[in-house]
Amino acid sequence: MAPKQKTDVLQGTLALMVLKTLDVLGSLHGYGVARRIEQISGGLLSVNQGTLYPVLLKLEQEGAISSEWGASENNRRARYYRLTREGRKQLQVETHDWEQTAAIIARFFKANAEDLT
Amino acid sequence: MKSLRRLFTRLSNSVARHEQEERLREEIAEHIALQTDANLRAGLSPAEARRQAMLKFGGVEAMKQDYRAERGLLLLENLLQDFCFALRSLRRTPGLTAFACITLAVGIGMVAATFSMVDALVFRPYPVPHSSNVVALAGTTHDGSLEEFSYREYRDIRDKTTSYDGVIAYANMQEVGFSADPGAAPRVRGGMMVSGNYFRVLGVEPHLGRGFREDEDQVLGRDAVVVLGPDFWKHEFAGNPAVLGSKVRLNGTEFTVIGVAPDSFPGLLVFGRPDFYVPLAMARAFSTNAEKNFFEDRDDRELRVQARLKAGVTLLQARNELAVLAKNFELEYPNLNRTRGAAVYTRFQQRTLEDDNWKFGVIFVTLALAVLLVACTNVAGLLLSRARARTREIAVRLALGAARSRLIRLLLTESLLLACLGGLGGSGVGYGIIAWFHSKQSIVFMTDLPIGVPFAMDKRVLLVCIALSALSALLCGFAPALQSTRTDLVNGLKSADVDMPGPKRLWGRSLLVVSQVSTSLMLLTASFLMARNFERSMLSSAGFAKDHLLISGFDPRLEQYTAAQTKQFYKLLIERVRETPGVQSATLMHSVPLGQEGIDAVAFVPEGFQMPLDRANFSSAMDSVDEAYFDTIGISVLHGRCFLASDAADTPRVAIVNEQFARHYWPNADPVGKHIRIDNAAGVPLEIVGVAPTIKYQNTRERPMDMVYVPLAQHPLSRMTLMVRSRDDPLQLIQPLKDIVRTLDANLPMFETRPYEDLYLNNAVRGPQIAVDLVGAMGAAGLVLTIAGLYGLVAYNVSRRTREIGIRMALGARPSSVLRLVMGKGLVLVGIGTIFGLIMGFGVERAMNAMLFDAGYVDLVAYLIVVPSLLAATMLAAYIPARRASHISPTEALRYE
Repeated sequence: MAPKQKTDVLQGTLALMVLKTLDVLGSLHGYGVARRIEQISGGLLSVNQGTLYPVLLKLEQEGAISSEWGASENNRRARYYRLTREGRKQLQVETHDWEQTAAIIARFFKANAEDLT
Repeated sequence: MKSLRRLFTRLSNSVARHEQEERLREEIAEHIALQTDANLRAGLSPAEARRQAMLKFGGVEAMKQDYRAERGLLLLENLLQDFCFALRSLRRTPGLTAFACITLAVGIGMVAATFSMVDALVFRPYPVPHSSNVVALAGTTHDGSLEEFSYREYRDIRDKTTSYDGVIAYANMQEVGFSADPGAAPRVRGGMMVSGNYFRVLGVEPHLGRGFREDEDQVLGRDAVVVLGPDFWKHEFAGNPAVLGSKVRLNGTEFTVIGVAPDSFPGLLVFGRPDFYVPLAMARAFSTNAEKNFFEDRDDRELRVQARLKAGVTLLQARNELAVLAKNFELEYPNLNRTRGAAVYTRFQQRTLEDDNWKFGVIFVTLALAVLLVACTNVAGLLLSRARARTREIAVRLALGAARSRLIRLLLTESLLLACLGGLGGSGVGYGIIAWFHSKQSIVFMTDLPIGVPFAMDKRVLLVCIALSALSALLCGFAPALQSTRTDLVNGLKSADVDMPGPKRLWGRSLLVVSQVSTSLMLLTASFLMARNFERSMLSSAGFAKDHLLISGFDPRLEQYTAAQTKQFYKLLIERVRETPGVQSATLMHSVPLGQEGIDAVAFVPEGFQMPLDRANFSSAMDSVDEAYFDTIGISVLHGRCFLASDAADTPRVAIVNEQFARHYWPNADPVGKHIRIDNAAGVPLEIVGVAPTIKYQNTRERPMDMVYVPLAQHPLSRMTLMVRSRDDPLQLIQPLKDIVRTLDANLPMFETRPYEDLYLNNAVRGPQIAVDLVGAMGAAGLVLTIAGLYGLVAYNVSRRTREIGIRMALGARPSSVLRLVMGKGLVLVGIGTIFGLIMGFGVERAMNAMLFDAGYVDLVAYLIVVPSLLAATMLAAYIPARRASHISPTEALRYE
């Protein structure tokens, strides 16, 4: 069960990263999203790029993003993903949730033994 | 909302799988190409750039798996895969598939058809809204039989009980002379008197017009209104809505049509579908008992009473309330209601207590289930043989890591598919059998009344078909699936022809054969017993002549004759018929032996007989006949004298009883000269002047019953049947008879005019023949399936041991010892099966005797025929493949494989 939980967390954060990436950069293909995440995380997040595609599909099926065929930089056919209105809303909600969670966790880590007495 | 949307997308993705797969492939290719380009720009060699790109992307197949899992519904897709696989593998063995499907179809179809009988006779709800709280109220007599209520009693029940939302009453369907316009000759139709609240309480909304108002049965003879039945309206009035408000004549009285009942409501009876309904208040034109006053006499009991329970009232409360009321009746009217109770019954109780046709249904269903069981074991055997042929395939799958549960699911999907096809075929077979019943309808019910076979392939029966399919899938699929996935991998992969030695594997097959043999022996026994019992009962009914007789029914009351007019009509009719050339003799009787109308009953006290304390009287069947009756029907009075023309209304009253009656009440004395008193000890005395032989009166399988004949002149009735003995073909007398009736009264309808032999054949021979045919078909199906199963087992054994047999023969075994080797086991199984089958057969015989025939002894002849024929047939089934084995050439057998 343990490894599965790990991927669940990863998948959850990955989805949020995908949404934020598309929010910032607009329409983008799968490779672009993967590169962007890699750049931002500074290589710290070493995931197989392939795991991105199931996440993209899940988001698309939930209606958070939409996709269509377009031409890539080297003029081949590529699938471009774009944030929908619903996705934008979802991003706002999740960003808020994430910040709250992160703040709580941060406070916990900062807390000293004296503070708790 | 989101997850719902995802589910739908996934569902549609599952369908459009191919397109999606293509898209993913293209996306992956593009991704890797872009990464390769980037790597190239970073200065890697082309080969290394591509390798790095692939590495970075990660495991493509694992990702695809995730992607697919995300995209579609895995379970559904797996099921679909299993289904396609099962379809393919079934198509690879078309012979086996066809055989299994047909086998299951026969079994399921038989159960479906017979279930439709029991359903119609017992389980089917009343065709009214909220039918579950409709109950039946009935009087009970000392011997536990149900009785109707009189009009007065009905009114008391209706007014003095509080458990119900409404209490309705209706008379049984009866023959009514109907004519749409006054000039036309009336024809016989089936009508029903109902209480004014009938439609309202049942919640039946008329298709057209209105139902009765409550006040329409309050004032006697005031509201001559009629509601038509749906079928009758369509046939008689071509479904014309303008029929509302028009006048029709029923038994000579003018009625106004006020409504048409809906198609969904054929009435509360099981068989009868009334042509029309009239209010109880119009009973003057319909009451069947001319001697009683329907509205006043508390013992003129003609009404069936039903009611709708109030919400929250239990059956027990209603029962107690009615029992108290019945007790009050008994106190208030001790003469009429002595030892008479009343009870509330559910639909199930009412239908099972009222008549015993359903017992046939139960026996049929049981036998059909036995056929289905044999069919399932057969298919299970087939699947087992096939599983053996697939040992290697299964072993490969297991070795590649398939979970055992997944494989069992796959194999079960196969048997489920088989069972579904079988169920589909089974509903077809069931439909065919029911259609066959319907085609026999005119034979079973030879009557002018609107009576029909109520069996139908409806929703409920189809549901049963589906359930049976699922059940048989489990029955015939589970054991083979379990067994074939329990393969020893190493051996399984090494050789295709591995068979786990050891008893475990064959134990299942042996059990199959034993259960098949015993079940089919039971089936055969049952069908033989049924055939022989009917045959016997038919022989025993040959107490009177049936040929050269013509019958025809009359009821002058339909033309509003007075008693004197009726008497005059019959006097003239019989005189003129007797004068007709070709007529040997002619007689009038009320009920025809083995006819379909009920027989009258009489309450009496026998002279010189010590009455039990709780009884005011006894009752017996009674018939009013004239002086030519015994001669015409061909029964000679054994003792004493026949009725004479001199037994008239004003001479001392006389009676003739049958032997059974005589033995019953005067076992050691001569009944001639004794008296019985009608109703009670103070009633009119009848002198017994003769004793007639006991014949069958209602049906050929009845037990001997008491019978009292009284002279027609002393007990005049309106509804009579004329029976004419002809010198030649009785059909030739129909026209002369019609002419005579026309000269007497052109408007009087003649009922059920036909040769008596036809009626007899239909009621006593062809009807039972249908039952015998049905059970015979089941027995035959069981036998054929068993033979096929046994043949399969032995053939399977032979094919499994071909090499072994070859070696044995090469070493010098003779064909006879090989034959013994191969057949031996089959015969042992048949022997064990026969023993079990005999036990089950005795059980079935006892059950059938208890329910229907009461033969009272074990029918050894049936067993003497059935057991050897079954043994012979099964031995032949084992012999054929065994013989083939004994002719195996050793060289070929050893080369085999």
